[in-house]
Amino acid sequence: MLHILRGVDMAVNSGEAVAILGASGSGKSTLLGLLAGLDEPSGGACHLLGQCLNDLDEDGRARLRLARVGFVFQSFQLLAGMSALENVYLPLQLAGRADARGQAIALLEEVGLGHRLHHQPQQLSGGEQQRVAIARAFAGPPQVLFADEPTGNLDQHTGEQIESLLFDLRDRHATALVLVTHEQHLADRCDRILRLDQGRVVA
Amino acid sequence: MKTGSLRILFAAVLLAVTALAAVGFFADRVERALQGERAAALAADLVAEQGEPIPQAWIARAQSLGLATSRQVTFPSVLFLQGQPRLVQVKAVDASYPLRGRLRVGRPDGSESGEPPRPGEAVVEARIARWLGEQTEVPLGRLKLRLAGRLLEEPDVGASLFRLAPRLLINRADVDASGLLGPASRAHFRLLVAGEARQIASFRQWLGSRLNADGRLLGVEDGRPELNTAIERARRFLGLAALCASLLAGVAILLAARDYLARSLDEAAILRTLGMTSRQLLWRYLRRLIGIGLAAGLLGCVAGLVLQQALVHWLGGEMGQALPPPGWAPLPVALGHAAVLLLGFALPSLWQIRRVPPLRVLRRDLDPPGVSQLALGGAALVAYLLLIFWQVNDSKLAFGMTLGVAGVLVVFGVAGWGCLWLLGRRRRAGRLGAGLLGLVRQPGLVLMQLAGFGMGLSLLLLLALVRGDLLDAWQRSLPPDTPNHFLINIQPDEAGELARLLDERQIPSSGLYPTTRGRLLAISGMRVDPADYSDMRARRLASREYSLGFGDRLQGDNRIVAGHWWQPGEAGFSVEEGVAKALGIIIGDELLFEVAGQRLQGPVTSLREVAWDSFNVNFFIQGSQALLDRSEVPYTLLGSIYLGPGQDEVLAILAERFPAVSAIAIGPLLQKVRDIIGRGTRAVEAVFLFTLGAALLVSLAALQLTRAQREREVALMRTLGASRRQVLSALLVEFGGIGVLAGLLSALLAQGLGIWLGQRLFGIVLGPDLWLWLVGLLAGPLLLGGIAWLAGRPLLAMPPLRILR
Repeated sequence: MLHILRGVDMAVNSGEAVAILGASGSGKSTLLGLLAGLDEPSGGACHLLGQCLNDLDEDGRARLRLARVGFVFQSFQLLAGMSALENVYLPLQLAGRADARGQAIALLEEVGLGHRLHHQPQQLSGGEQQRVAIARAFAGPPQVLFADEPTGNLDQHTGEQIESLLFDLRDRHATALVLVTHEQHLADRCDRILRLDQGRVVA
Repeated sequence: MKTGSLRILFAAVLLAVTALAAVGFFADRVERALQGERAAALAADLVAEQGEPIPQAWIARAQSLGLATSRQVTFPSVLFLQGQPRLVQVKAVDASYPLRGRLRVGRPDGSESGEPPRPGEAVVEARIARWLGEQTEVPLGRLKLRLAGRLLEEPDVGASLFRLAPRLLINRADVDASGLLGPASRAHFRLLVAGEARQIASFRQWLGSRLNADGRLLGVEDGRPELNTAIERARRFLGLAALCASLLAGVAILLAARDYLARSLDEAAILRTLGMTSRQLLWRYLRRLIGIGLAAGLLGCVAGLVLQQALVHWLGGEMGQALPPPGWAPLPVALGHAAVLLLGFALPSLWQIRRVPPLRVLRRDLDPPGVSQLALGGAALVAYLLLIFWQVNDSKLAFGMTLGVAGVLVVFGVAGWGCLWLLGRRRRAGRLGAGLLGLVRQPGLVLMQLAGFGMGLSLLLLLALVRGDLLDAWQRSLPPDTPNHFLINIQPDEAGELARLLDERQIPSSGLYPTTRGRLLAISGMRVDPADYSDMRARRLASREYSLGFGDRLQGDNRIVAGHWWQPGEAGFSVEEGVAKALGIIIGDELLFEVAGQRLQGPVTSLREVAWDSFNVNFFIQGSQALLDRSEVPYTLLGSIYLGPGQDEVLAILAERFPAVSAIAIGPLLQKVRDIIGRGTRAVEAVFLFTLGAALLVSLAALQLTRAQREREVALMRTLGASRRQVLSALLVEFGGIGVLAGLLSALLAQGLGIWLGQRLFGIVLGPDLWLWLVGLLAGPLLLGGIAWLAGRPLLAMPPLRILR
C-alpha cells in the first residue's frame, strides 16, 4: 500500500487561516480532501466542526458540509449548462433557504458579477469563473472554507485580484480558511503555514 | 472508460444481427417447408394438364432439361359391384409417380408401401374397398385388376379438386387395354415434372405457348392465394418486429459511437502530436470498429441460429419436424445488416477523428471540426432506408415505417422543444429545482435522449398494439361461419334448384357466380406474350388460364382502388390490382379472352383489392353480367357455403341430386390459415423481446454518453452538501421528466400510427386503446427512472474527491 500522508497532526481554530504549502505530489490536496470529508483516510481520524468524520457515512459528511463548508477549486468546478446565478443558488436551494435567488444575486454583486448573472461558465473568463466559484463558496456563509490552489489556473494579475477577493470575504465573514498552495506569497497572507514534504509535516 | 461505449456498440450489433438472423433463418425454413408442401400437394414441381394426350415432344424437352417426368391420366368410370353401378374416379399413373410428396398404400397383408400399382394391379379408396367386400378382383372395363391395396394417402389429391366419386388408382399401361378411353372421353392428361428451379422455370416458359386452349399449368407458386396472403402477413409482422429491434440498435450504435469518439479524442491528439497521419489515425480506430462488427456479427449469427431453433420448439414440436434444416441463405444477409448498421450509424462519427487538432494536448476544449449534422443524419438515413427495404421488401410497408420514424422524430423534437421552452421561462424566474434544472441546461442532449428513448418506446407500444389489437381484429375477420366448402361445376339450369336447397336447409352461402375459363389473348389490341415480360410472376400470369367470374354485385371483401364498378347493363371487366400491376393493365384497356374457342372482349372499368383470406368466392378477373349475357360463351356456376357440424349429409344430397356438381372442402386450408396466424402471432411476441432489449440499450448508450459529466456533477453536488436523497431525486426528476414526456408522446404516436397502419395495410379499423396510454405513461418514467437510479447509486457511494480529481 502507498502511504500519501504520515503522522500529520494538525488543528485549525475557528476563524484561523492556515496555508498548506508543498511541492507537487507532497500530499497537500489529499490532506485538504481528508480535512473536508471529501475522501476517507485509511488510518487516523479527522474532526470537522466538532464531529468525527470517521463516524459519519458519505451522507452524514454531506449534511455536515451543507451551507457550513465552502470550497474553491483550482479548476473552478462550475456546473456546465448552468448560469452563474444558478451555480450560486444551487447550494442555497439544497439547504432549503427561503430567498435563495435573492441571496445568490447579492453574492454575485458582492464579487462584482451583478451584470453577468445569466452567463454560462463557458461565456466567462477564468477570473470571472473563479469569482462565481467564490460567490458559491460563501453562499452559506460557511464556517470553514477550503481552497485548493485557487489562483493556479489564472494569470498573475487576475490571480492577485482573486486572492484579494478571497481574503476580503474571509475577513468579512470571519471564516476559517484552509488554503492549499505552492506559492509562498499566498501562504504568507495566512495566519499559519504548514509545510508538507513527501506526506510529512516538516514545519 | 472507452470500453463502456465499445461494449454498448458490441451489444447493439450483436442484438441487431441476432434478431435479424433468427427471423431470417426462421422465415427461410418456413418458406422452404411451404414450397415443399406445395410441391407435395401437386406430387411435382410443375404440372401441365390438358384434355388431350401429352405430346412426346414435351416429355423429350423436359428430359433434355434434366427434369424427372411422370405421366398420368384421370377419368370417371363406373364399376359394377354387387349388381350396382358405382361411379369412380380413375387415376392411371406410371412407375415414377409421385415425383414429390408421398403415396401410401396399405397392402392386404397389413404392410405399407409407397409404390404405385404395377400393370394388372389396382389400389382403391376405402369406399370402393367396402363395395368390394371379400372380392379381390376389380372389374374395370375389359380388364379384371388384382386388388393390390388400399389408398391411405394420395399427395396430389387436391389437383383434381374434390371428388364425390372415390379414387381408383391403376397403372397407365392398363388404360388402353381397359378400352375405357375413347376420343370423346372426359379425361385429363397430366405431365408431372420435378427438378431444379431454373430448369422448371425454363420448361414452364417453353410450355406456355404450346398449351391447348383447355390446358393449364400448375406450379408451386400458384398455391392458394388465401394461404399466400396469410403467410405474407405473418412474414410482414416478423420483419416489422425484427426491423424495430434493428433500428433501435442503430440508434444505440450512433450514441455509443459518439461517446467512443469523445473518449478517444485525447489519445488521438497525443498520437497526432507524435506524428501519426490522419489516415493512420482513422485506420487505428476503424480497425477496432471492424473487429467489433465482425465479432458481434458472427456471434449474432450463431445466436440467431440457436434462437430460431428455440423459436421453432416454442411454437410447437410438430412444426419443428415439418421444417427443413436451416439453410445458409440468411447468413450473408444478417452479416450485411451488421456492416450497414455500423457504416451508417457509427462511421460518420468516427470519421471526425481524422481531424483532431494536435493542439488539443494543450487545450482540451479543442474538438475536431464536426462532421455536419446533415452528413451524420444523411448516412443514418441511407443506412436506414437500405435496411428497411432489404428487410421488409415491401415499398408500402417501408414507406409507412419511414413516415412513422420521421413523424416520431418531428413530434419528439417539436414537443420536447416546446416543453423545454416552458421550463426555460420558469428558470428565468429562479423557480426550478436541481432536477428540472438538469433538464433545461443541456437541451440538445435532452432532446436526443427524448427522441432515442421515445422512438424505442413508440415502436414497442406500436408493436404491442400491432401484436394485440391488430392481430385480434385480423383473427376476428375470419368469423366461425367462414365458408368451408366451394361448390363448382353447377350447370346454369341447376342453379335455381340448388339455391332453393341451400335456402331450405339454411346453409350460409356466398351466392352463385357464373364462371368460365379463358386465356387472355390481348390487352388493347397488343397480343399477350409471356416472353414480353421480364418479371416471373407476370410471365406466369400471361401464360395461365383464368377463371373468369361474372356478376354485378361487388363482394363485401373487395374494394375498388381505381375506376368505377359498372352500372347494370354496362359491359366491363374488373381486374385484381396485383394482376393489373404485373401485366400492365390500366383503366380503359380492352381485354380480349378466348373462352372455349370463342372470343370475349370488354373494357377494364375498375381495379380491385381482394381480401383473399376471407374464403369467399373471388376472381382475379371479373366481368359484368351484361358482358356474359351478350356473349355465347359456355359457363358453369360456383359458390361457397358453410357446413356446420352434422350438416355433412348435404354433401350426399348434392351428390345424388346434382351429380355433376363437385364440392371442394376447404376446411383444412382454413385451419392452416388460422394456424399460420396463431403461430405468426407467437413468433412476433418472441421477436418483440429483442425490441425491448434494443430500447434499453438506447437508454444505456445515452447514459454512457453523459456518464463522465454526471459523475462530476454528482460529486460536486455532494461536495456542496447535497444528501443522497437530494441527488437521487434530482436524477429521478430529470430522467423521470424525460420518461413522462416520452411516454405520453409515444402513446400518442403509437395510437395514431396503429390506426393508420390498421387501415392502410390490414384494412382493419381500430379504436383508442386506454391500456396503451396507461402503459406509455408508466413505462416511460419507470424505465428511465429505474435506469437513472441504477446508474446514480454507485456514484453516491464514491468519495467526491476521487471523481473531482
